[in-house]
Amino acid sequence: MDAFIGNLELGFGTALSLENVALCFAGCLIGTLVGILPGVGPIATIAILLPLTFQLDPTGALIMLAGIYYGAQYGGSTTAILVNIPGEATSVVTTLDGHQMARNGRAGIALGIAAIGSFFAGTVATLVIAALGVPLTRLALIFGPAEYFSLMVLGLAFAVVLARASILKAAAVIFIGLLLATVGTDLQTGDERLTLGMIDLMDGIDFAVLAMGLFGFAEILRNLDSPETRDVAQAKIGRLLPSKADFKQSALPVLRGTLLGGALGILPGNGAVLGPFASYTLEKKISKTPWRFGKGAIEGVAGPESANNAGAQTAFIPLLTLGIPPNAVMALMVGAMTIHGIIPGPQVMTKTPGLFWGMIASMWLGNLMLLIINLPLIGLWVRLLKVPYRLMFPAILLFCCIGIYSVNNHPGDVLLTAFFGFAGYAFYKFGFEPAPLLLGFVLGKLMEEKLRQALILSRGDFGTFVTSPVSAGLLLMAVLVIVVAIIPAVRKGREEVFNE
Amino acid sequence: MKQILAVLAIAAAILTVATGATTAARAQDYPTRPITMIVPFAAGGPTDVIARIVSENMSKTLGQQIVVENVTGAGGTTGITRGAQAAPDGYTIMMGHMGTHGAAPALYPKLRYDPTKDFEPVGMAAGTPILIVARKDYPAKDLQEFIASLKTQQDKANEANAGVGSVSFTTCTMFNVMIGVKPTRVPYTGTGPVINDMIGGKVDYACDQIVNLVTQIQGGNIRAYAIATPERSPALPDVPTTKEAGLPDYQVSAWNAVFAPKDTPKPVVEKLNAALVKALDDPDTRKRLLDLGAVLPDGEERTPAWLGNYVAEEVARWAPVLKAGGAVQAD
Amino acid sequence: MIRIRAPKETTAGLFLIALASFVFWQTDDLAVGTMRALGPGMMPRALATACGLCGLALVIQSFLKDGASLERWSIRGPLFILGAAILFGLAIRPLGLFVAGPAAVIIGSLAARDSRFIESILFAAVMTTFCWLLFKVLLSLPIPVAPWLLGY
Repeated sequence: MDAFIGNLELGFGTALSLENVALCFAGCLIGTLVGILPGVGPIATIAILLPLTFQLDPTGALIMLAGIYYGAQYGGSTTAILVNIPGEATSVVTTLDGHQMARNGRAGIALGIAAIGSFFAGTVATLVIAALGVPLTRLALIFGPAEYFSLMVLGLAFAVVLARASILKAAAVIFIGLLLATVGTDLQTGDERLTLGMIDLMDGIDFAVLAMGLFGFAEILRNLDSPETRDVAQAKIGRLLPSKADFKQSALPVLRGTLLGGALGILPGNGAVLGPFASYTLEKKISKTPWRFGKGAIEGVAGPESANNAGAQTAFIPLLTLGIPPNAVMALMVGAMTIHGIIPGPQVMTKTPGLFWGMIASMWLGNLMLLIINLPLIGLWVRLLKVPYRLMFPAILLFCCIGIYSVNNHPGDVLLTAFFGFAGYAFYKFGFEPAPLLLGFVLGKLMEEKLRQALILSRGDFGTFVTSPVSAGLLLMAVLVIVVAIIPAVRKGREEVFNE
Repeated sequence: MKQILAVLAIAAAILTVATGATTAARAQDYPTRPITMIVPFAAGGPTDVIARIVSENMSKTLGQQIVVENVTGAGGTTGITRGAQAAPDGYTIMMGHMGTHGAAPALYPKLRYDPTKDFEPVGMAAGTPILIVARKDYPAKDLQEFIASLKTQQDKANEANAGVGSVSFTTCTMFNVMIGVKPTRVPYTGTGPVINDMIGGKVDYACDQIVNLVTQIQGGNIRAYAIATPERSPALPDVPTTKEAGLPDYQVSAWNAVFAPKDTPKPVVEKLNAALVKALDDPDTRKRLLDLGAVLPDGEERTPAWLGNYVAEEVARWAPVLKAGGAVQAD
Repeated sequence: MIRIRAPKETTAGLFLIALASFVFWQTDDLAVGTMRALGPGMMPRALATACGLCGLALVIQSFLKDGASLERWSIRGPLFILGAAILFGLAIRPLGLFVAGPAAVIIGSLAARDSRFIESILFAAVMTTFCWLLFKVLLSLPIPVAPWLLGY
């Protein structure tokens, strides 16, 4: 216990220096901005701003870069709520109920609860990292390919639950998402799959391209089709901040989301992405009024947003304790640390405790700053929604185009996004939902990789998925989730038959 | 309606110009504006880190900012293809490496560039030695025992690599061919997951760059059997060289070098080379690179001519090795 | 009398079946592999089959259950919005942000019936300047601004 307090003291001592506080603030501000802009993500920004940090000392540089990272998470949720465009993979779920809340004139409340829930989650996560960081890493190492695959299957089961309408269509769309994930160069043989000979597809489809197309462009096309409903919250602005009742409704979802997201974020290999989906599924299933989900239920924002932020923080654990980056942004942080002369690994904690604990302390500081930055901005965003749509959509269009181009500097990406925009429009006409597709896509890459690795390691024995207790448990949960999801639909179908 | 037609006319005009336009080459008083360095790998990786460290110093010498642009894909060949097709005015250069300019012709039959013909070599930047590593409780004391164990196990041994086209893949192909084993090759996306599963004990061995592995070895999570350079690395003084450990022919280093597109004017190339050499001599840059475990070129090795020859040698070296090792998993 | 009771579902189902066939055609040359060693073709084809089956189920269901009728597709929206994006993609490199930006905004705004021409032009100028400040000056992203004028 003494050591724990001593470490936190060291951490806060480092984090609260004037320079580091300023850097944290700058990072959070830039991060929020970047997260709000469609397409431009934390990866591009951190990569660009990296040279600017060369003048700073390593701890300060990392604090600022980390601020950009979680700032971007917040910003991504903001666009998800306001204009139905998910900034990151983790914000996809927020679009479901968050944007509906905005349409109901409750944008301020959605943004507010997202910010506050995230702050709570961030605080808890910081404490968890400080106290349990190292033992938790050992836990994460238990996950091998077989366990990961089962986790992904569980994730897909969640995707089925996400469906607002037909489960059959949701399943179909998830399969399409998985299919899109296979586009690219095969990992093992180097064969090109479904690339249609285009060099731009050789490395697969970028998440941002798919999200911008299916959500960004398609949303604009959808809105243009129905001019009556397109002006979001033109008449009613409503409250700017959540009411007491809203808080009461959100309290438990926030708690549950924090635990779920925090646990999943530790898993190297992007486990953090599952957090929001798991939270949404949980809230929808245990709610006494599940029909509200998909129409603007505040639990559908509070839970996932907390999970989102908790996961973003705990994702630092494998990086700080083992030196293994769990996702692309963390890999960039590894690069940043390396350039500054600190080679991340198991000894960072012991060799440079000031850096380690300083970063952890500044995480909490960053969360606080994000709250301070974002709450006042809510008024601004809500006012922005009053801009006439005929001006808003070309602006969104331009931002998306620039954003997409900036991801990889491939003009081809913009063209591809246009294609997916058309596809998204077609899906809308056919009655398919884009959210499960995106989830299928995100999980698909990991899933196939882990499936093949597991089978290679077990020499073709499918039993490997059930001999491991962790893996078997996850698969069982997946089956349960799907069964529970299908039962109401089956029951409804029987009722219809009876009524006829 | 008239307005729509007018706009469409303008759009058509823009389209024609856009598809036909080329940027004019300015060769005098180079450089007069920022230079783009294409790094064909993800930001944060070894090549990217080396590129950023080196280009930061080069910017100071040249008086213009060098902006690193990460263009990833297909084992680095997407970015290099883009670089090869860029205007040869010295404002687009690239950081190629052993994979893109050595192994690529053998790995990618549809490769859209020729490493020996489509570039003006600028200079070698830094190499990262390759280590032969295994999970920490692998039952072998040293390299000889390790090799013997692999030979008996053959396809029961699990070798992890970061996917076809990656450094870990090509260097381990060479290793496997050299010692005559056909292990089961398990592909991952990136080195992070490889290290993760190795620490977790799920896979047996790998061959990868020192940068990725040094802290894990120092921390005792992974064991290293040998380093494939003539001398021991100061970062890992306890790891024997392949020469000392009994496999002297395995000398491999993931080299990184700067290239410019073909037909870039000679004075421009020389200016770039001079800036690169100055960077390599700068004490701060040197220290940062050496701390990574990188190996820096000396004297003759820094010239464009030497690089050109080296590339040709590398292409010739990797072709037979990769064909023998095969890009398909042994089953 | 066999009647299509839910045309929307029929088209959705047919689309899925078409997609599945397309995938099978494109992956024709990929090795499917065995259970022991999944080849590159295994996953895409398995998924395509799943899609196709869902499509089939949808089509069958559309004959049995009443459902929505076909939606109308508009031409104006997709043409101008996607056209603007495509133009931006083609123009950004050779012509830079100062040309591609306004082009995207002006052409895109034509997609809405109530857009006003002068307003769009002004808005395009404002937005392009704003984007230049934001993306180029503040965030220093390597976006071409006007290669034909400024060289970068």
